[in-house]
Amino acid sequence: MKFDDLDPGLLSATIQRALRHGGDFAEVYVEDRRSLSLALDDGKIERTSGGHDYGAAVRLTVGDRTYHAYTDEVTEADLNAAADAVAAAIGAGVAGSAAELGNLRSEPGLHAVGRPPQAVAIDDKAALLREADETARAYDAAVHQVSASYLEGRQRVLIANSLGDLVADDRTRVRLTVSVVARRDGIIQMGHESRGKSRGFEVIEGSVAADLAGAAAAKAVTMLSAKPAPSGPMAVVLANGFGGVLFHEACGHGLEADAVVKGASIYAGKLGKVIAAPIVTAYDDGTIPGEWGSAAFDDEGIPMQKTMVIDEGRLCSYLNDRLRAGKMKSPPTGNGRRQSFRHVPVPRMRTTYIAPGNATPEDVIAATKHGFYAKSLSGGQVEPASGNFVFGVAEGYLIENGRVTTPLRGATLVGSGIDILKDIDMIAGDFRVKPGMCGKDGQSVPVGTGQSTLRIKRMTVGGTG
Amino acid sequence: MLDKVEALLERALARGADAAEAYAESGESRRIKVYEQAVEQLTAARRKGIGLRVVVDGGVGYAYSSDVGSDALDEVVEQALGNARVADRDEHAVLPEPPAAYPELSVYDERLAAATDEQKIALALAVERAALAADPRVKLVEDTIYADGEVEVFLASSTGVRGTYRENHCYAFAYALAEQDDQVETGLSFTVGRALADLDPQHCGEEAAERACQLLGATKCRSMKATVVLDPFVAASFFGVVVSALSAEAVQKGRSLFADLVGSEVAGPRLSLLDDGLHPDGLASSPFDGEGTPSQRTPVIEAGTLRGFLHNARTAHKGGCASTGNAARGSYQGIPGVGPTNLILSGENQPLADVIGAIEHGVLVTNAVGVHSGANPVTGEFSVGISGLLIESGRLGAPVREVTLAGDIVGMLKGVVALGDDTRWIPMGSFLVPSVVIEGTSIGGS
Repeated sequence: MKFDDLDPGLLSATIQRALRHGGDFAEVYVEDRRSLSLALDDGKIERTSGGHDYGAAVRLTVGDRTYHAYTDEVTEADLNAAADAVAAAIGAGVAGSAAELGNLRSEPGLHAVGRPPQAVAIDDKAALLREADETARAYDAAVHQVSASYLEGRQRVLIANSLGDLVADDRTRVRLTVSVVARRDGIIQMGHESRGKSRGFEVIEGSVAADLAGAAAAKAVTMLSAKPAPSGPMAVVLANGFGGVLFHEACGHGLEADAVVKGASIYAGKLGKVIAAPIVTAYDDGTIPGEWGSAAFDDEGIPMQKTMVIDEGRLCSYLNDRLRAGKMKSPPTGNGRRQSFRHVPVPRMRTTYIAPGNATPEDVIAATKHGFYAKSLSGGQVEPASGNFVFGVAEGYLIENGRVTTPLRGATLVGSGIDILKDIDMIAGDFRVKPGMCGKDGQSVPVGTGQSTLRIKRMTVGGTG
Repeated sequence: MLDKVEALLERALARGADAAEAYAESGESRRIKVYEQAVEQLTAARRKGIGLRVVVDGGVGYAYSSDVGSDALDEVVEQALGNARVADRDEHAVLPEPPAAYPELSVYDERLAAATDEQKIALALAVERAALAADPRVKLVEDTIYADGEVEVFLASSTGVRGTYRENHCYAFAYALAEQDDQVETGLSFTVGRALADLDPQHCGEEAAERACQLLGATKCRSMKATVVLDPFVAASFFGVVVSALSAEAVQKGRSLFADLVGSEVAGPRLSLLDDGLHPDGLASSPFDGEGTPSQRTPVIEAGTLRGFLHNARTAHKGGCASTGNAARGSYQGIPGVGPTNLILSGENQPLADVIGAIEHGVLVTNAVGVHSGANPVTGEFSVGISGLLIESGRLGAPVREVTLAGDIVGMLKGVVALGDDTRWIPMGSFLVPSVVIEGTSIGGS
């Protein structure tokens, strides 16, 4: 049965079948996803791949237990088999109750798609990659390798549950990424830039490919003259945009309620307490129109929202899904997300950011006598239980006497989320969001990380110099 | 599914593909998560899908679908052909020729297929119980997971490759949290095999607990030049970065620090690294790789000298050599790239206690974070956050954390002076590794 031909009556019957031996909550999640990716490497378009994934999952919760079965054939027989698999896990019992499904809800206008990418000729997509390649190569003779990739996806979901919710969401995302390797005198450096939105092809048209390529090339070439970064504690200025990945990793994951309910987060039990400097206010927001980490609904059919997590230094909310909201007796925040029908929803961030302040980025640099300027980070890892993190710095500089000076390579930032939040002492107003993919529990979902330029007064830099 | 790959191949060739390769997989899996001695989550899954690679006028296109109905097959063929037409001509776009025979290899255990959910749940509960009982400072086990999977793979290509095999595996892991004086430390352990009887839940739980508890009270240490002992978990993640630079794809694209080093000494004289796609216990073993080349044993580093790289058919054609059977395909959704199978690190193994006993100042590293962001396989620069235990005058001492270990990858490989006798499988990838002792590293602390 095709996605468009699905009958709410069948979903309703599946829910009742799943609940027939008992259970508090049952849900059917149907997903139809079409993707296309093109990759250019070494001047050639050589990896062009597209596909279709279509499947359904049945989920049943009983007290603290969750049973989940999925199938990649969506017929009445397969949905029955999935419902039987979760019902069998309970064994015999009194049937759980399900409300009648309400009217279908959807919000097609929230993240409107200008040019559906499926309607754009594949040659036009290839042309963007070629333009990125040419621009990056023309930037400097030291540019040695360029790779660029284009990704489009349309994910349609239909969610029905025993509370009577019937929700459809239609999510289109487009992303363009450029990576440049520069080489001179045996030294190799890389630069990376991307733009991705929950929009159509329009977000990467015009000068976007050339702009990304130029920026990635500039980063790689600049870093060729970098010196090994020093080690030790110092003031660290994080640039706007992808610098927000540090907040995402070091703090955001600890606010996801699955870790909190188990007491496995450093932020457990700290609701209402001061966890950050008073200048810090932070949000996790799934409502920013067209943003990479936004959608109309989460993957449990709850409207995404703008959730304030830190209010002037005080922790004011965790990030919930239905299961954890129930356990914490707090309202869901619309953070129940899943990579696909093959995964169970867990609390996940959307676009997470520290709100802009009043300073200018120039003020922040000028006020720093000696420090490290992390212009872009290459990613990182955190242990949510301890809040300890490590980040690689893709582009870093020394700050001397209030000025950005020597580029520095090979630096990592090491610390713990709870310390750096208290040590943020300046925030500028140059707010930007960058797209990323966040991995957790074997699931990858699109998220945004954002911030303005800000300063952490003391943090450990691990370098090789 | 055999009829599906044949049909896909036939239609692709009929619609104008010069060469084509159809792949299908079909499988089942279980994932059971327990918490506080009760089932928290049970996932029962069936998964299948098809993928098609075509070559048209030298350009390669790929398409896939989880739907294997007749209409869906036509759609996959059209999409793959359309994708191939936009691709640039690739003179190295070759599909492997069929071999005389595939190696006989048993990677399927009937005992796992016969195991019940009740037995699997009991095993997961035993892991958690062992972790909680091991030490009163273990506050909780955040994740205790048992998982298994079985998959049947089908491959057919226009060069005449026809292959199928069935594989299964299971594993359990625990992620324990220990607490003392408001400090929380974590410890991870795995147990892997092809049957429940292969798994050791007691050891898995106890080890996760021990790995967490031994870090309690950790502080920063001073910055120093030191000898480090990477335990097998950390050694596996370090060698994961090394191996990503040993793929011929990375080398040919100018993204490997090893590009010009074949025949040179790249590691300590005791160190050998073998990619073994045939190891009977390896979870990455299979009779053939993602495009039908027979799996094999490939020495990558022999006694410190770099012997060569890992190849699929394309990189081998470009490099003028033979494929090493390392065409890697994550699933039916993926174009075959280059990836390792089972990686086996060997040398002169010595009792771990003797190795540690000979170290004057050092760190036993039991945890490394940021290995993938902090290590650069192109430039070789390496800087990661570590925790572990100090070694002073040959004895294990105080725990340390929030310090960095930095250097360059070849420098670290050349600094390998000894291997422990604690070789074991680590399923992050599929590594068979001992503890690795490296001299002359930089520890960045206070």
